[in-house]
Amino acid sequence: MKTYLELIILLPLLGGIVNALLGGRLLPRRASEFLACAVIWGSFAATVAAALAYKAQTSVEIATWLSDFDFKAPLTLYLDPLSLSLCLMITFVCALIHTYAVGYMKEDPSYVRFFALLNLFVAAMLLLVLAENLPLLYLGWEGVGFCSYALIGFWYTDPKNATAGRKAFIVTRIGDTGLGIAVVWLFELLGTESIPHLNQMGHLLPTGIVTALGLLLLLAAMGKSAQVPLMVWLPDAMAGPTPVSAQIHAATMVTAGVYLLMRMFPLIGTSPTVVAAIAITGAVTAFYGASCAVVQRDLKRILAYSTISQIGYMMMGVGAGAITASTFHLLVHAFFKALLFLGAGCVITAMHHEQDIFRMGGLRRTLPGTFWPFLAGALCLAGVPLTGGFFSKDGILGAVWLKGGMLYGGLYVAGLITALITAFYTFRMVLIVFGGEIPLNPPFIKGEVKTLPRIMEWPLIPLALLGLFGGLLNLPEYLGNGFLHSFLAQPGGNEQALPHTTELLLQGVAAVVAVTGIVAAWLRYGGERRVKSLAKEQQPASGIAAFLLEGWRLDALYDLLIVRPYTRLSSFLWQKLDEGVVDDSLDRTAALFGRCGRWIGSRGQGRVSLSLLGMAVGAALTLFWLAWVVL
Amino acid sequence: MIEIPFLTLLLFLPLAGAVLLLAMTTRERLAKATALTIALAETVLACSAWFSRGDTPSPGYFLFVDSPWIETLGIRFTAGMDGISLLLVILTAIVTTIAMLVSWRSITERVALHFLLILAMESGIMGVFLSLDLFLFYLFWELMLIPMFFLIGIWGHDRNVYSAVKFFLYTMVGSLLMLLAIIGIYLIHGEQSGVYSFGLAALTGTSFSPATGFWLYGAFLLAFAVKFPLVPLHTWLPDAHTDAPTAGSVILAGLLLKTGAYGLIRFGYPLFPDAARTLTPLLIGVAVAGILYASWIAFAQKDMKRLVAYSSIGHMGFVALGIGAWTPVALSGAVLQMVNHGLTTTALFALVGMLDERAHTRRIEDYGGLWNKIPLFSAFFVLFFMASAGLPGLNNFVGEFLILTGSFKGAHLATVLAFIGVVLPLVYTVRLIQEVLFQEERRPLLLADVSPRELSILAFLAIADLYIGMHPAPLLEILKAPVAVLTGGAP
Amino acid sequence: MIVPLAHVLVLAAILFGLGLVCTLVWRSNVIMLLIGIEIMLNAAMLVFVGGSNHWGAADGQVFALVIMAMTSAEVSLALALVVYLHRRKNTVDVDEFRELRD
Repeated sequence: MKTYLELIILLPLLGGIVNALLGGRLLPRRASEFLACAVIWGSFAATVAAALAYKAQTSVEIATWLSDFDFKAPLTLYLDPLSLSLCLMITFVCALIHTYAVGYMKEDPSYVRFFALLNLFVAAMLLLVLAENLPLLYLGWEGVGFCSYALIGFWYTDPKNATAGRKAFIVTRIGDTGLGIAVVWLFELLGTESIPHLNQMGHLLPTGIVTALGLLLLLAAMGKSAQVPLMVWLPDAMAGPTPVSAQIHAATMVTAGVYLLMRMFPLIGTSPTVVAAIAITGAVTAFYGASCAVVQRDLKRILAYSTISQIGYMMMGVGAGAITASTFHLLVHAFFKALLFLGAGCVITAMHHEQDIFRMGGLRRTLPGTFWPFLAGALCLAGVPLTGGFFSKDGILGAVWLKGGMLYGGLYVAGLITALITAFYTFRMVLIVFGGEIPLNPPFIKGEVKTLPRIMEWPLIPLALLGLFGGLLNLPEYLGNGFLHSFLAQPGGNEQALPHTTELLLQGVAAVVAVTGIVAAWLRYGGERRVKSLAKEQQPASGIAAFLLEGWRLDALYDLLIVRPYTRLSSFLWQKLDEGVVDDSLDRTAALFGRCGRWIGSRGQGRVSLSLLGMAVGAALTLFWLAWVVL
Repeated sequence: MIEIPFLTLLLFLPLAGAVLLLAMTTRERLAKATALTIALAETVLACSAWFSRGDTPSPGYFLFVDSPWIETLGIRFTAGMDGISLLLVILTAIVTTIAMLVSWRSITERVALHFLLILAMESGIMGVFLSLDLFLFYLFWELMLIPMFFLIGIWGHDRNVYSAVKFFLYTMVGSLLMLLAIIGIYLIHGEQSGVYSFGLAALTGTSFSPATGFWLYGAFLLAFAVKFPLVPLHTWLPDAHTDAPTAGSVILAGLLLKTGAYGLIRFGYPLFPDAARTLTPLLIGVAVAGILYASWIAFAQKDMKRLVAYSSIGHMGFVALGIGAWTPVALSGAVLQMVNHGLTTTALFALVGMLDERAHTRRIEDYGGLWNKIPLFSAFFVLFFMASAGLPGLNNFVGEFLILTGSFKGAHLATVLAFIGVVLPLVYTVRLIQEVLFQEERRPLLLADVSPRELSILAFLAIADLYIGMHPAPLLEILKAPVAVLTGGAP
Repeated sequence: MIVPLAHVLVLAAILFGLGLVCTLVWRSNVIMLLIGIEIMLNAAMLVFVGGSNHWGAADGQVFALVIMAMTSAEVSLALALVVYLHRRKNTVDVDEFRELRD
């Protein structure tokens, strides 16, 4: 088991290091690409081996890391059902995306940097998931943040991309403050950093402190998982290459915040305030993301907002105490969202890097190999019955319903409305991009639509299958027992199950909602009406549409409230306070002394003999005075 | 104990080398080679101390020299090396060697004198880190100032004389007060016990009336705070750093700043435990204020060297916080952070110096798109600036995290504020990286990628950074015994 | 023969006074000024030696030796300066050397 766990992390790390050091000059391009993919597939194989050998929770200490007096944070990996299922997902999805990226980055000269960072990212992400103690988790947490930063700004010559990377790094780091404080505080309170121990000792803490800790962790999760109000970085993060968006900003890294909350749930879940805060954050974010996605014109931004929204669902699930349902949605979402992003990448490549959906159309005929998997992903996202997305989303909504009460009732309604919007925007996207006739735009007139390398299309198929049939992982109870449910069931966990009739009823409602959304999208963009609707939407947005297009204008607000004051005050502090007051006062003091000296000097005659005489007289006077005193 | 007077050799080898260099002022190449050889020999000596320290770290000093010097005044030549000194001595030897290497080509005038001064300064710094006699300590404390004054004054750029004088006056005011305090504690101890001595061991445990202790410690604190530098006594540093030659900046940031922190750990707290405890809130407050203030100001900088200088003030604030907390974890974190900051800042100044050497400008707005042109240099640039911003896995994180962990218990609010101070370095770092490495080039500059000499410097520091970041256990282990003694707990 | 300390001190005081007068009065010549300083230093040295004899401690004699070494260094340096200044100004009058004023 130890070997497997070591291999899971070391392989991607090794790949990254070898590529970074030897790539370019010593390794031919093929070898670099092969290495990058092979290590991830190897890591996947090691994970599968670990899963087959898995019997009970194990923690394996690989090396010491931080160890100082009573503070200990060794390099220990912890494998339990939660981390194991996430590892399986991460290694598999990332391996597919790496393979896809070979095709996607075919013409990019900086492939070495790309693959090295992509590999390092996987290593850091796996470390985050497998970490047994909080400082180690923090190491992975910041590691993925750095890789994300470097990869968003991968095409760095454009200031827009570089700024997007920087924004992502800083905004997530603001959230990380919460994690840092929580880590340090937990050590002071309980004297250990080990996650399993902390979770067991949670009941020793008073509720007030647990609430504070939970809110700090929530802050961290908000940053990493792009939750309101720290979600502004994710839409901009789409500046990175599409495989990066798929891997980091859809499937893995952005779910780290949810993972953190799930990991620490036994500890923080005892505080009702925290749980409610998590649920509300999730619901607000889910609605926010969906509402913004409706009006976007950029294919990747639609998917980004949809990711924000879907992670909001996961948070809502955590807030309802439904860890299993949340994990389930996390896994299925990773499959279908990676699929959608990769599909979008295919479309974008085929269209010569055009991302505006209003300039696309009719691609179902030109890109059938992309269309069908993409449609599968869209069905999952929209929550069409019997797809994986349907079951997983329903699990969360059911759990929220089960909690009952005013608050959770409201959240359930919000979730349903969001589901409606989700179905609508998903099929708006599908219909506009793939439906209708081919528009008379430059890429279609000039050259043909670019043909895609096969290596970019085949990774879509397993993802589509997993998305569509992911529901089998955790079927509702009335269809047989959920595998994931029994696998993830934590000892002492008390996740209640809905009565079967209620569950069926809720699923019926969800199905109706999803279908309604799709029909609404069809009514607006299908067939004849497409042209008219598009013409209307291509006008510059105004009013509420513009508000939604700019993500509720939060960027402008933050710019006004935080960025500009920070920049201005920085200059002010430097030039006015530091140089103007602190330093200047000293310079003036020094100048004053200098002037005094010059003034005295100008009084004197400069004759040596006179100085000597003065000295002699002074000495004589002193002597006399001393004699006076003594005698 | 080793048969040969090991510490004496360590202390005076560079000084002897400096004297030797006096004879070579006209033969520059020979002078350079000799200086480097001596610095390397010193490094070997310092590192051999690591291995000769024995398996069981005793709580005391594992290397010790004590011989009479000026008996009538109770001044003895007492020097000792414990874990804290050992790390800093090794750091000193390494940073000095690197300082020589980075100025290998950039110094063209009075080459021998330049290297001579660096060697003399190395002796002074070694002495500060090793002396256990207050008089001796003060002597070395002053000895290290003078070469730096000339380094800035002769080879500096822009307002070099202004900066040199400012640096000198600032530190002089502090250290003269410290001299008074040293004499004061000497007299008080002499009156109390009848034995006049400057030895640290003898003076520890002297009892003062609260007011006397307060003023004496205040004088010490002031001298150390100038060196640290703590806000608001920091304004000499940006000027001195910016105008100093690269070697000067490297030594200044890498080593001289550490002497203040070291003095506080070795002398300030042990000699005046009560007064130190009284003034701890002040120290912690100033430390946190410095972290936030300096990191904020760094964001507005237009000159790269000045940015690094302000970042140094911020990072040293963490060290001050760790010392102020005075818990085992925080204190060992603080010492480790001194080493980390020494290594990282050395690298940062070396990087900026390399750019300056090539393009003759340090203004951020002159650069842009460097990644395209000099990728190897850029990779190191990112690595070291990320280390400086406290990215986990690299060395600065370890120190800062331990400091924050250790100081949380005593100072909740200060630590929480310091956590905000962890974000601010990232803000200016990513801005700098974006403006210098990314985007398009703004001025056509002829730049060459790193030469083998530069590569060896940077690669060495990078490996050190990564090693401490991933495996700090040996260093923490060696700090355990002395830190436990200082904080009064069992190791 | 034991010389009382008081005698030594009186002699030293007279010597010191002579030296002082020499420096104050003979200002037209730097050399005389230096000689005056030398005499004053010797007076101080005499006090040291006398004190050392009186208390039976060697420290004073050590100091006397240090002063000797120091004066010889000082004189050689000062004479070099005088030669240099004479070459520049063609005079040895101390009052002519006043550039330091500014």
